[in-house]
Amino acid sequence: MRKMRATLAALAISFSTSYASADVIKIGLIANFSGPFAVWGQQFRQSMEAFQKVNGKSVDGHEIQFVFRDNGGADPAKARQLAEELILREKISFLTGFDLTPSALAVAELITEAKMPTVIFNAATSIITRKSPYFVRTSQTVQQYIEPLPEWAVKEAGIKTSYTLVSDYAPGHDAEEIFIKKFEQAGGKMLGKDRIPLNVTDFAPYIERAAATGAESIYIFIPAGAPSISLVREFAKRGLKAKGVKLLAGGETQEVYLPSIGDDVIGTISSLHYTETNTNPQNIALRKTLVEMFGPGATPDIGTVGAWDGMRLIYDGIKQFGPKITGDQFMGFVKGRKWDSPRGPVMIDPEERDIIQQIYLRRVEKRDGKLVNIDFFTTGMVKDPWKIANPNAK
Amino acid sequence: MLLFTILLDGIAYGMVLFLISVGLTVTMGLMRVVNLAHGSFAMLGGYLSSVMIRHYGVPFIWSTLGAAIVCGLIGGLAELTIYRPLYRKGDLAQVLLTFGMIFVSIAAMTLLFGPTPVAESMPKWLEGQIDLGFRTYPSYRLFLIGVGTLLAIVLYFIIERSLFGARLRAAVDDPGMARALGINVNLLFTLTFIGGCALAGFGGAIGAGILPIEPFYALKYLVLFLVVVVIGGLGSFRGSLAAALSVGILDTAGKYLVPQLGSFLLWFIVFGLLLWRPNGLLPPKSAT
Repeated sequence: MRKMRATLAALAISFSTSYASADVIKIGLIANFSGPFAVWGQQFRQSMEAFQKVNGKSVDGHEIQFVFRDNGGADPAKARQLAEELILREKISFLTGFDLTPSALAVAELITEAKMPTVIFNAATSIITRKSPYFVRTSQTVQQYIEPLPEWAVKEAGIKTSYTLVSDYAPGHDAEEIFIKKFEQAGGKMLGKDRIPLNVTDFAPYIERAAATGAESIYIFIPAGAPSISLVREFAKRGLKAKGVKLLAGGETQEVYLPSIGDDVIGTISSLHYTETNTNPQNIALRKTLVEMFGPGATPDIGTVGAWDGMRLIYDGIKQFGPKITGDQFMGFVKGRKWDSPRGPVMIDPEERDIIQQIYLRRVEKRDGKLVNIDFFTTGMVKDPWKIANPNAK
Repeated sequence: MLLFTILLDGIAYGMVLFLISVGLTVTMGLMRVVNLAHGSFAMLGGYLSSVMIRHYGVPFIWSTLGAAIVCGLIGGLAELTIYRPLYRKGDLAQVLLTFGMIFVSIAAMTLLFGPTPVAESMPKWLEGQIDLGFRTYPSYRLFLIGVGTLLAIVLYFIIERSLFGARLRAAVDDPGMARALGINVNLLFTLTFIGGCALAGFGGAIGAGILPIEPFYALKYLVLFLVVVVIGGLGSFRGSLAAALSVGILDTAGKYLVPQLGSFLLWFIVFGLLLWRPNGLLPPKSAT
């Protein structure tokens, strides 16, 4: 009996020591896996699983586990509740995800209180990272990737006039503001602007209004998916492309959506922080892994690259500080950090904890029978212009 | 010229709404079933046609007809198995079940085809422009106007001029009396349901260039379809044509002329129309 007890004790000790030397580190993710924004959850998850396939499921022997939670639509209250559950019950070490701005804003207070390092994989409203010192963003801001486009349009492409069509919600207003500001600064003339309600299905009247002004270019900012597809198709069907009107865009013409739009989209120029066809070794590895794991149709997008780089930050942080890394250690670690992303060189702004990156101007072309974006101009490192223009906004 | 553009755009848009909604108005008027899942049949039609074109190389027109036939058959099957037990269950049960069916269809389509909208599959001859003299205009929209007009005429003869139509209208106006006169109302229900679903499937397939096919289709456009039905008057074929065209034209004109009002304008118009004619523009006799 005595011997047995000793054995048990020894067993218990050996278990507890092996537990201490090889921890399980949990990463919580909140995103939409169902509902109209389900494409984001799919991109995040595929990217994280692909990242583990390339970089291993553990760091220095510590197992990295994912806990996925479905936000189930644009539901900030639910995001907060899920974050609480992940922190208190699942005991996560990192919170990640956040496809939509309202969900990210909803957890700001909570993560500050819990000192929970939170990596934003997409939500692109500038102000988010100012709402908590535990936010870091590996995606983009709306104004950051639009800023170079109007200047290029006026100075390099010789476009003198433009018209903006944006969706009538906060990111659309941000987009409209920066496009018009930069277009006019560069010497271009705006012939009009329209804000399109989010529930509009037939875009013909807006395209007609823009065309009637004789503008040489039309800039669009519409949620990618069914609405952006309708709008771009309508632009081409109205013969504006044939008349030489230039369509200027952003995420609307990402490669994932191009087959849905069809050949109408060839020639569209857009600016964004990630082009799927770039030849960085990191990007080639990412694409190859995605196709191996999820089939020939798998295409990386901004959600994929945002999640990939977020995982890179977390893995590197754990490598440096071990499995017991605290929120403050991690936030100190990310500030000013530079690395090679599939999109190109990036760094985290030491003051704003927002990503600083190159922006690419691309044109949609058909290569080997497939519609893709091809880069033709790369900017220097761009910091979020909204933060520069609003140094004290909180 | 501006007026012509607004009219053409509005009529093309209205025709798509008409094709999809006409089945809904007849089933709602005839069977008193609130079938919120009607849009799911339109969505199904769109997916079927796209699969036929892309995977089996079926020409566009045949694919839309094929989609209509399959949707009609599935609709008939659903009428016999799911809808029939609902007829006597009251509005709430009908709303709950058919609304649930929308969610089932959303989840099923997401699983089968993914969350992104399906690829464009219009044939070459619908992609170009046609010179109308005063301007060039997308051939696709002219095609929609043509097909919509043709179908409206065919439906007019079926519903307003044939014996079947006379029985159908009689059953809408007074189901009790129709039964007493020996009309087989049950058979009429099933046939009408099949026809309505087939039209929805056809409308979904042919209108995919204006309303892109995606898993949320049935939910997203539900309100539009219901607006057409309510403005037209429950069960009225002519009413739904008038309502679909006025919604299409007024909405287009509003966006074109006063975009600042955005999406509100349509609802103001609906509000005004219903104040003026609470039973719809051309309600059947039973409603007045």
